[in-house]
Amino acid sequence: MRSFLLFEVRRGMSSPVNLVFLAGFPVLLYLLWTKVLDLASGPVSMVSMATYGAMGGALFIGGAIAMERASGWLRQLAVTPLPAHGYIVSKVVAGMLAVLPSVVIVLAAGALLGGVRLPVGTWLVLPLLIWVGVVPFAALGVAFGYALKGQSANIATMVVFFLLAVLGGLWLPVSRMPGWFRVVAEYSPAYQSGSLGWRALDGLPPTGTSALVLAGWTALFVLLGVWRYRRAMWR
Amino acid sequence: MLELTDLTKKYGDITALDGVSLKVRKGEKVALLGPNGAGKTTLLSIALGLLSPGSGTARLLGRPPREAMTAGRVGVLLQDAGLPEDVKVGDLVAAVAGMYPGNALLDLGDLAERRVMALSGGQRQLVRFALAIAGDPELLILDEPTVGLDVDAQRALWRQVRDRTVVFATHYLAEADDHADRVVLLSGGRVVADGPVEEIKALVGGTEVRVTLDVMDVPGLRALPGVQDVVVDGSTATLRTGDSDATLRAMFAAFDEVRNVRTAGVDLESAFVSLTGKGA
Repeated sequence: MRSFLLFEVRRGMSSPVNLVFLAGFPVLLYLLWTKVLDLASGPVSMVSMATYGAMGGALFIGGAIAMERASGWLRQLAVTPLPAHGYIVSKVVAGMLAVLPSVVIVLAAGALLGGVRLPVGTWLVLPLLIWVGVVPFAALGVAFGYALKGQSANIATMVVFFLLAVLGGLWLPVSRMPGWFRVVAEYSPAYQSGSLGWRALDGLPPTGTSALVLAGWTALFVLLGVWRYRRAMWR
Repeated sequence: MLELTDLTKKYGDITALDGVSLKVRKGEKVALLGPNGAGKTTLLSIALGLLSPGSGTARLLGRPPREAMTAGRVGVLLQDAGLPEDVKVGDLVAAVAGMYPGNALLDLGDLAERRVMALSGGQRQLVRFALAIAGDPELLILDEPTVGLDVDAQRALWRQVRDRTVVFATHYLAEADDHADRVVLLSGGRVVADGPVEEIKALVGGTEVRVTLDVMDVPGLRALPGVQDVVVDGSTATLRTGDSDATLRAMFAAFDEVRNVRTAGVDLESAFVSLTGKGA
């Protein structure tokens, strides 16, 4: 299993698709929001976009699983000594590790291109908070990866990704949304992921509500993932 | 090494396997021969634990198939296995080799530095074989291993197979003849013959002679030297013979009205029809 895990980690880190998708696109959006359209404050938007990219990376772990299920690569792995859990653990670990550099790149763009200035301690803790915040999306992605096969999983993930990001105020701050919408938004997973970083900008620790809501979504998505995984395996 | 007992598998109304038993001992080279749809892939999938049998049991190296896989002593080439596209061949093979206690690395030459997405169908097949053999397995199970391979690659493949116990599926009699010492003939989900290559060749090999005769004399045709089987359709008779020269010589002497004589090597599909009395 170790050789496969290392293989997946190297694969995730050296993927140019990851770099463009998880870092390049969020950086462009960040520059668009703050420099071109002037819609959002620099630091908040920087955190939002880093969270957005990380969230995408976590969700699309499932897209990769769905593609490999469809291509028959999983059939080949099933006739090697790799244990059944070895594949999924390697995918999630490698996928989550691949998210980290993209977060650092978006934050670096904030500091270097956006002129965001923060205390050193905040710079250190931000990537970790954002990274931990997107854990529920890795579980949701895995659920999608085992519920759907091939390209259809990617399309479904893309739609959910976009909806959750908008609902969670990663594109436009929740404060600009109508009242009833705001209530729903604040219990959505992406909002709570973002809020870890937003609060850190003001030097505040995550709230108990954030921790609870994120833990709740994670538990739900893990259950969903386990259910779909079992269904897919017994076919 | 491999023991299948009374395997049955149905897909809806279609019976893919109908009571197949098979035992492969250490050192044997067994060709699983049959036309498309005979049940070869279903049989191998069950033997490998990829598919659950409707009834019956499969044991690999004396254990349930999945356990034998985990122990790393079986190497497998699947017909429909996909490969990760974005990685280098060498990295892929190394990752799979790392899962096994022992290693046997196939020399892939400059293919190792290429990415999978840049490979041709035949090159992919060679990579699949490299993965099958990467763990230096005692037992190799190969489903249609030479599909798409050029002659050199085929030679490299069979060279690696030489010192191992191997079960391979094929629909080429010649391949079974060259590389197996035992042939299991599968048709319509049943084992219709199982024995040394020579025995099976006598059953399904030979030449087909097709002639037109106005006055049909089946016993007379059947009595010709070399003839194993005669099938009549209107005024056309199809003879299967192990010695077409002798058959033709005697036929021209005995029947002066034969017309339209055509000969062809027997293809496996029609051999199966005559063996089982129905289409495969």
